[in-house]
Amino acid sequence: MGTEAIIVFFIAAVVLVGGGMIASKLLAPTSTNPQKLEPYECGIPTQGPTHVQFKVGYYLFAILFLLFDVEMIFLVPWAVVMKNIGLTGLISAIIFILILGLGLLYAWKKKALIWE
Amino acid sequence: MYDFTTLVQSIGNFLHGQFSPGVATALEWTLVILVYLALYAILGLVLVYVERRVCAFFQLRLGPNRVGWAGTAQTVADALKLLLKEPVTVNKADKLLYNLAPFIITLAALTVISLVPFAKGLQAFDINIGLLFIVAVSSLGVVGILLAGWSSNNKYALIGAMRSGAQIVSYELSVGLSLLTMVLLTGTLQLSTIIETQANGWWIFKGHVPAIIAFFLYLTASIAEINRGPFDLPEAESELTAGFHTEYSGLKFAFFFLAEFVNMFTVAAIATTVFLGGWMPFHLGDWAGFNAVMDFVPPILWFFLKVSAVIFLMMWFKWTFPRLRIDQLLKLEWKYLMPLNLMNLVFTAILVYLGWHG
Amino acid sequence: MEKIIFYILSAVILSLSLMSVLSRKLLRSAVYLFGVLTAIAGFYFLIGYHFLGAVQLTVYAGGIVVLIIFSILLTHDIDHQMPTPDWSRVAVAGALCVAGAVMFVQLLQGSLFSRVEAPEQSDLNTVGNTLLNPGGGGYLLPFEVVSILLLAVMIGAIVIAKQRHSVDDSSPEKQAP
Repeated sequence: MGTEAIIVFFIAAVVLVGGGMIASKLLAPTSTNPQKLEPYECGIPTQGPTHVQFKVGYYLFAILFLLFDVEMIFLVPWAVVMKNIGLTGLISAIIFILILGLGLLYAWKKKALIWE
Repeated sequence: MYDFTTLVQSIGNFLHGQFSPGVATALEWTLVILVYLALYAILGLVLVYVERRVCAFFQLRLGPNRVGWAGTAQTVADALKLLLKEPVTVNKADKLLYNLAPFIITLAALTVISLVPFAKGLQAFDINIGLLFIVAVSSLGVVGILLAGWSSNNKYALIGAMRSGAQIVSYELSVGLSLLTMVLLTGTLQLSTIIETQANGWWIFKGHVPAIIAFFLYLTASIAEINRGPFDLPEAESELTAGFHTEYSGLKFAFFFLAEFVNMFTVAAIATTVFLGGWMPFHLGDWAGFNAVMDFVPPILWFFLKVSAVIFLMMWFKWTFPRLRIDQLLKLEWKYLMPLNLMNLVFTAILVYLGWHG
Repeated sequence: MEKIIFYILSAVILSLSLMSVLSRKLLRSAVYLFGVLTAIAGFYFLIGYHFLGAVQLTVYAGGIVVLIIFSILLTHDIDHQMPTPDWSRVAVAGALCVAGAVMFVQLLQGSLFSRVEAPEQSDLNTVGNTLLNPGGGGYLLPFEVVSILLLAVMIGAIVIAKQRHSVDDSSPEKQAP
């Protein structure tokens, strides 16, 4: 199958989850009860708003991830042709990785990699 | 050699001979959808059963053994029970996002198994950027998890989802980089070609030390990426009840559960394809007799044997190691796996340049 | 067939972009944006640029969206719903949008587009060889400059995030673990 497989599997997922949801709606019993609709927090009534402000650490790791993700993407074409490209390819990629390694080192020294 | 290409082609030709092109294509698609949905469900059911039995084995218990022969019908009964459970949507939940989350997660898990080569010619989708496509699509699953946690209006769910997000995106890097190390050796991203390159020996044998390092890096990172123990802290029961799917009930919960177990299969299947030769039989040097016996075993059996071995290894990890804390988890990724991965990448590149690869 | 998919994808992208802009809830906007970015990847797959499609999925749909969701959760008042603007503002904004659209269509119709034959299937070997070619027609220097750019971004992000963290220390009880 060619690229149309993406469409086929998209349809498959929608059929599976959508069909399942409809089936369970038809088959399952329903009974309403205000207690049942409370958030499950181990029996204690929930306190305060749910969507509180999260700490900056999550954001920091997300942006580090994004940068290394882009690095990985740039290395993919290199990895594919490495066998035929010889010394220039090797040296340029090593420089590329070293510069980003410096970034990782900087993050390490600035204690950005520590979860507080 | 067992080759399914002709079989698949003859099914396609039969359909196209019998019906008009539009109908034939539609039938073809329906067939693929049915086969893969069945596979998806069966994989989930079998793996849940195996997980429970293996867990019981490690904990010197019996595990499920009443329903059906040796408990094999237990998971089918569980699935039916989940289907008949009432789907409860919590107060103040963002209904749209709440219902969208299972779709995204299932889509990611299902699309990825379309790339798995079960045997020669038995692969639904053989795209030329196979490995990258797998990394790309599995990175979409994290959005589903974040939405599930956010829309549930539950603190445990939200914290679980946030931790899960930070964990998945971090470990995705190690998964990608360790696979990239192997791409240096194979020179291609297409999964069928990667297996062809292993006809004279699996990469874990002919890739020397870097391949072995990459294998363990891949296994560790991908276990963390699919939120399995010992890295299952987004759903650490003792702290966060069930993590991001706390507020999901009935079949909606089942979709998360199913995707988790199917992801485990996918990880094992990719490990098998890239490191353990896929459906290639095990050969020993020049032992013609031994090799002939090995060739006799059908490739699809080889594939599932190797996948089962990797899955067993993953379950062994889960029931042996204690769960990590979130700070230890991120430290492991960023301070150990990442630098090691980058060094391994450079080392492998030098090795390839010197021509020492197999 | 390809035309149908093209129009479906375009409709999805247009409607989701509109919903993303018009939604009153922050996170929903991000989710619609996720849909838009994924559908754009669909375009790349449609014209056979598989590598670019995978990059779009990895970096944009799987990376940027996660970053956006995390930054939304960083804000103080997350559940904040934008107030519905009064009709005069809606009217002015609508008029401006229509004027912009008319100008855009006029420009498009006025410009001459040269018809390009369907591009050759992108092959990763071609991409790699061109990217790492130091000679003419190669992109080795930009490739290296990209790494310096990424390094600069990384340092900038760490400096900003770390600074903000020290300010946030004053009210630690408001933050979730």
